[in-house]
Amino acid sequence: MANTNNQTSTLMLKSAGRPPWYTPDGKNTPAYVVGIAGGSASGKTSVARRIVESLNVPWVVILSMDSFYRRLTPEESKRAFDNNHDFDHPSSYDYASALQALRDLKQGRAARIPQYDFSTHSPSSESQLVYGASVVIFEGIFALYDPAILQLMDVKIFVDTDSDICLARRIKRDVAERGRDPLGVLQQYDRFVKPAYDGFVRPTMNNADVIIPRGLDNDVAIDLMIQHIKRQLNELSATIMRPVLVDRYDSRPHGLKDTLAMLPQSTQVRAMQTILCDRGTPRNDFIFYSDRLSRLVIEYGLGQLPLEQKSVRTPTGMLYEGREMDVAVTGVTVLRAGGVMEKALRSVARPVHYGKILIVGDPVTHEPRLHYAKLPPSIGTHQVLLMDPTIVSGANAMMAIRICLDHGVPEHCIVFLSLLATPQGVQAIQAAFPSVKLVVALLDSRIGKDDLLVRSGYGIFGDRYFGTEC
Amino acid sequence: MQATKHPRLHQLAQTHQLKGLMTIIRDQNTERGEFVFYSDRVIRLLVEEGLNYLPVVDKEVITPMGVPFQGVAFEGRICGVSIMRAGESMEQGLRDVCTSVRIGKVLIQRDERTAQPKLYYSKLPKDIADRWVLLLDPMLATGGSAMKCIEVLLEAGVKEERILFVNLICSPEGALAMLQQFPKLQIITAEIDEGMDERKFILPGLGDFGDRYFGTED
Repeated sequence: MANTNNQTSTLMLKSAGRPPWYTPDGKNTPAYVVGIAGGSASGKTSVARRIVESLNVPWVVILSMDSFYRRLTPEESKRAFDNNHDFDHPSSYDYASALQALRDLKQGRAARIPQYDFSTHSPSSESQLVYGASVVIFEGIFALYDPAILQLMDVKIFVDTDSDICLARRIKRDVAERGRDPLGVLQQYDRFVKPAYDGFVRPTMNNADVIIPRGLDNDVAIDLMIQHIKRQLNELSATIMRPVLVDRYDSRPHGLKDTLAMLPQSTQVRAMQTILCDRGTPRNDFIFYSDRLSRLVIEYGLGQLPLEQKSVRTPTGMLYEGREMDVAVTGVTVLRAGGVMEKALRSVARPVHYGKILIVGDPVTHEPRLHYAKLPPSIGTHQVLLMDPTIVSGANAMMAIRICLDHGVPEHCIVFLSLLATPQGVQAIQAAFPSVKLVVALLDSRIGKDDLLVRSGYGIFGDRYFGTEC
Repeated sequence: MQATKHPRLHQLAQTHQLKGLMTIIRDQNTERGEFVFYSDRVIRLLVEEGLNYLPVVDKEVITPMGVPFQGVAFEGRICGVSIMRAGESMEQGLRDVCTSVRIGKVLIQRDERTAQPKLYYSKLPKDIADRWVLLLDPMLATGGSAMKCIEVLLEAGVKEERILFVNLICSPEGALAMLQQFPKLQIITAEIDEGMDERKFILPGLGDFGDRYFGTED
């Protein structure tokens, strides 16, 4: 058990925004899965961390097998409290749950990771939602034990540290951090740890691609392996987005599909768009008309949703054949500008759940980078309204849609709402996600290729609304 | 002519969502907070739709990127006139989209001796003759009060074709009578109902809008 707290926790490490993890047709590229096994206190976690530090991959998760200890029977539980249960036996783990979590993470889906409470020797009632890792490291004494889990791994590592070094570390750790007495640690080592290692852990070395003798001290072996992982990751990321999206700026859009619903171009809508496009519009007017137009777009978006039939009795005593919304709605805003539309949704609908996604364009490549995503846990069963005032290349919108899909939302349950979009952007979204509905108040096709901005549109919407122009 | 087909009677887009809103406000079991919230939401849609009948002129603007954009600009000044008391519920919806809009008020009640609507009070913007008027009253039953109010507006010099009568629910006979009486009037409504009962309540309707909105039911 590698943890010093009472509960296991999965380590999600984020060093920078996450670049697209999917192809231009909207399909996820699989995450890279590293398995690290080895004896207790052999230095698995340290090797995992060394790999993470060296890879320079923005979002990495280190998943400890300890999270997947299975629930004990009452007799086993009693033995556990008497320090008399063999946690080092392969049967102590719930491999099916671990497999499911790894499979979800590998396919880019959000995964719920159980937490194990060492003070009660049982899975905790809490769990942790892990999402968005490009590299998943799965470490534990039996990380290379289950054949189905092995199949998910891109590289399998066994850390082979000398057993007396492991024992020395273990005594030090358990005495210092867990207040145990050395004799007890030795007894446990003799009874459970050593036999388990010899009988079950060590044989899984045969499943490894790489064996690292001497653990973390073996710089040469670790460096070689990191080189290997880097090479493989580069091959994977070569398939990713940007070149194709940039090409789209040159193509003339043709035939937008009917998943696009244009807000009726009434005189009021056109007059509001004129005010928003006018560079001379003062900021308070820009805010006022953005809010007013947002509300119309929200209402029109809600108008696209099917409602169930319901009849009610009116105060005159007569029946009215009406309709009723019987599905929960979640509004997901693409920050920062999407927050403007959230306000409009708040003023028409209640109660609604809200999710937030922060995507920032890379200043050089303009490629979107995911910095933050927090969605309601039950979003998979909701009708989702995704909101961003402008769709230019469509790259941010595609990332936001992909995040919703990764959290279990069916494609046809997503409506993307926007005040202004380019036909190129709409086309990119429609090509990748043919069932997502789009509601747009203005189509504007004049894009500048160099700066990737809509030439005739609002300028930078967020800057004008929030007053952060340079 | 069928009321739903009349070229000067404009209904909001009949979406499931609108039906959902109307279901809530028509339901006799809806509590007042909900009634007010969802009425306000429909009113906002009605006001937005009503404003579309105002004129605009072509206007070219320069975008922040320095290129021209061919758009339009609002033209013509407006004001609201609410028929007290229920019409006052619609004033905020108008103010929310037209900040600091001028609003006139008219009180019309039934004269018990003649059974005819009678004007008790009116206070209108003094330049109303130059303005477009959004006439606000949530329920169009017989149209008696609204017709009386339009007479008051015409006397004040408002041009008939500049009057837009905005309401949530109308009876077909009331709407048709008004459109016949005033051949240039436009009506904007959310739903057209089946008819009226002997007390001149719209059926199926929603009961007394003013009482439900302001909380003065028995």
